[in-house]
Amino acid sequence: MTEVGTGVRQRCRMTRRAALGLFALPFASVRPVSAATKPPRIACLDDGLAETLLLLGVKPVAIADRKVWEDWVVEPALPPEVADIGTLLEPNLEFLEQLKPDLILSIPYLDGIKPLLERVAPVTTIGIYIENGQPYRNAVEATRKLAGLVGREAEGEALIEATETSLAKVRRELAPFAARPLYVVSFMDPRNVRVYGRMSMFQDVFDRIGIRNAWTAATNYWGFSTVGIDSLATADDARLAYLEPLPAGAGGTLTESPVWSAMPFVRDRSIMRLPPVLMFGALPSAARFARVLAETMTAHG
Amino acid sequence: MGRRDRPLVAVLLCATLAALAVAATMSNLSVQLPSALWLEAAFRPDIGDMRQVLVHYAFLPRLAVSLLCGAALGLAGAVLQQVLRNPLASPETVGVSAGAYLALALATLAAPALLAFGREWVALAGAFVALAAVLALSWHKNLSPLSVVLAGLVVSLYAGAIGAALVLLNHEWLAGLFIWGAGSLGQQDWVTTLWLLPRLGIAALAIGLMTRPLTLLGLEDEGARSLGVPLGIYRFAGLGMAVALIAVVVAAVGVIGFVGLAAAALARIGGGRRFGQRLILAPLLGAALLWAADQAVQLATGPQGDLLPTGAITALLGAPLLLWLLPRLSLGGELPLLAAERLPRTGRPGILLAVIGLALLLLLAFALLCGPGPDGWSFAFGDQLQPLLSWRWPRVLAALSAGAMLALAGMMMQRLTGNPMASPEVLGISAGAALGMMVAMFSVAGAGRPLQTAAAAAGAFAALLTVLAIGRRAAYAPERLLLAGVALTALFDALILVLTATGDPRAMLLLNWLTGSTYGVDPGSAVLTVSIALCLLLAAPLFIRWLDLLPLGTPALRSLGVDVAGTRLLVLLMVAVLTAASTLIVGPLTFIGLMAPHLARRLGLARALPQAIGAVLAGALIMVGADWIGRTAIFPRQIPAGLVATLIGGPVLMWLLRRR
Repeated sequence: MTEVGTGVRQRCRMTRRAALGLFALPFASVRPVSAATKPPRIACLDDGLAETLLLLGVKPVAIADRKVWEDWVVEPALPPEVADIGTLLEPNLEFLEQLKPDLILSIPYLDGIKPLLERVAPVTTIGIYIENGQPYRNAVEATRKLAGLVGREAEGEALIEATETSLAKVRRELAPFAARPLYVVSFMDPRNVRVYGRMSMFQDVFDRIGIRNAWTAATNYWGFSTVGIDSLATADDARLAYLEPLPAGAGGTLTESPVWSAMPFVRDRSIMRLPPVLMFGALPSAARFARVLAETMTAHG
Repeated sequence: MGRRDRPLVAVLLCATLAALAVAATMSNLSVQLPSALWLEAAFRPDIGDMRQVLVHYAFLPRLAVSLLCGAALGLAGAVLQQVLRNPLASPETVGVSAGAYLALALATLAAPALLAFGREWVALAGAFVALAAVLALSWHKNLSPLSVVLAGLVVSLYAGAIGAALVLLNHEWLAGLFIWGAGSLGQQDWVTTLWLLPRLGIAALAIGLMTRPLTLLGLEDEGARSLGVPLGIYRFAGLGMAVALIAVVVAAVGVIGFVGLAAAALARIGGGRRFGQRLILAPLLGAALLWAADQAVQLATGPQGDLLPTGAITALLGAPLLLWLLPRLSLGGELPLLAAERLPRTGRPGILLAVIGLALLLLLAFALLCGPGPDGWSFAFGDQLQPLLSWRWPRVLAALSAGAMLALAGMMMQRLTGNPMASPEVLGISAGAALGMMVAMFSVAGAGRPLQTAAAAAGAFAALLTVLAIGRRAAYAPERLLLAGVALTALFDALILVLTATGDPRAMLLLNWLTGSTYGVDPGSAVLTVSIALCLLLAAPLFIRWLDLLPLGTPALRSLGVDVAGTRLLVLLMVAVLTAASTLIVGPLTFIGLMAPHLARRLGLARALPQAIGAVLAGALIMVGADWIGRTAIFPRQIPAGLVATLIGGPVLMWLLRRR
């Protein structure tokens, strides 16, 4: 009885928080912005930090590589006025300088160019994929830090809550599926996949939604391992979810390979296609991953 | 046929390799499946048992593919060596593998429809274009072994640079290309095996039918012609079949480094004196080599290990092998070439140099003032200019210094070796610098630029010491040094392939630097580079007399009382320092060192001093231009300057070296 009660209460709160957090973006544009609280002009080089900013209701003035966003991040949609300053590895400094940002958000991966960026504007480096291998916890910290930077602490806490709540909701929805482990992979070509495991955001989401990762072997610093499909044959009862976008040609040939067709998850049709989710994202990507997984798994049955 | 004719060593080697391979195979197989089920899995696999499926459709086809590809590469290597009369010819050293790979990569990106038409045809086209380029580049050296191999390396490097450009501009989509390109033998059905069998079979049969005429090709041309053999046709047919074998292998599994070279060379050294013997031994050795290598890779990674492409691993082993082979092969001496060339000679080098200098000044002004911005193209003046200039001048000056230093280094190398394809890129020093940077990047988390630079300098120095240690025994004979450099470069390429195939994001950082970006140059390092360049350029006149004499060849030098070994050592040291300093700025692949001296020579600057000045000015001019194009062509994105220089440089070089 009490359990149901808390459940309902939680659901109510979740809706409110979700409206604040996950749907902050549409409201952000209507909210009157006074000169005093005007958010700083931020150039954001990392897509995970940028998606967090957008959900805090702050539009970055520029990001690196809009194409990557459109293909991998997908939502929240990137407002058209956000400038594209070139590739992640070499954001165009002349361009950046002319945009006159107050702040540049960077990640440890780009420490090599930090001295250059600092000549344009102060640089804040926020690492989510770092040594400790706990991207979800780091993303929570990153959200707090970002919220502090733009003076939207309340929105930050709301986003963290909303993410927690939506993961908790997914956990309940996926409870019937928790018994079987799950592989999450991206196809590199018809024979090889990148399989996500320890130290990845997907693993942290799994832990929070009560799903067991079928890939328990070693992963690299970024939380994945590149292996041939045949390496996925060890778990007998595993399901497999593969992420879009697929490389050219991986769709058609898959079904022809006898190894592929003999895979336990292919044989019992426990194979699911997920829409793109940024694998190196922050809380919004984590929430999106949980949500698309829940939608796909419940639809799949 | 006496005892001496029997290639005992080669047979023994082949048997040993095969025994090792069998042991490794047994060990790998027993991890996957209890031995009682082996026969069943091989012939009547139980589809319900995943272990049997994996053995039947993954393990066994992989084994078959490794045997087939190894044999094909060995055969191709033996035929190439025979047809080109070159003990160092092989799929990798004559650029054929790289050409096939690049063609397939380009087709994957730009015209996937071509692949549906047939991967092998795309690969074949690429392989032939590469081979044609290599032969054209080494033609006026009478296809001498060393010049063919050097041209092959340059073409491979060039293809690699274009491949890097593709990757940098589309990296998320090419991860699969890395895996295939690095020679992953992984299989999941028998399709590739069945695809390879007829194609390789036809080519091998054709070669078998041509054994006699191909044997005669090993004789001197006059000798064979007197026997009434139409040499040209068989030479071309043999070459065609070898290239076809390689193209088919590349289309199926990507580039398998150095198996072809190793098999053919071991067959020769192991006692295969007659071509007919080598024609059998080389494929056997190739098959045994690749089989053993592939099983060893599987043994190392285990069934669930991270992907380790076998082709790249064999390339890693190939480099030491090449170094070991060098003193054991007779390559014939190189004739001094540059002095004998009939090239225009200008009577007034001063005016010509002034014109190039003026062009450089104009380009400098242009590169500093003009560029696109968020609102389109503009010339910046006054207040606008100040902020832009602070970004532009370090890059422009660094590009200028690097271009000048590489040009001087290349000019010295070419005069030292008497080989028009000699350049600092192939000396291995650039590869050493890159290796140093790689170690820093992967062993120290968040290694900053100063640390990376220090590591690169240390790497360059270590590579130099290695090359010099190898060269010391041969009194710094240029041929040996260049080949040692080739081996080092190949080793490095293999490492890069392994890294990129695992999809580690740090590989992208490395690739970015490799392709020669001036992006990271700050005012401090720009000033440092300019000062180093000035010091070195001012020291250059001390070398001019030697540079005028060196192309005359060793005997002439001795008779003039020159200490040949000492002179070579000093010139090499100078080249090494120049190369290391510029590699740190523009990466190891620019071809400026190859191109600029030829440009100066073509313009009629014949003596060492005017050629040096002309080359330095031309090198600076090209590099500044390349940097400007790289910064502006696809604004706000950027193309690394070294890459632009390479893309411009390749065709220019072909034109400069075209047959006269």
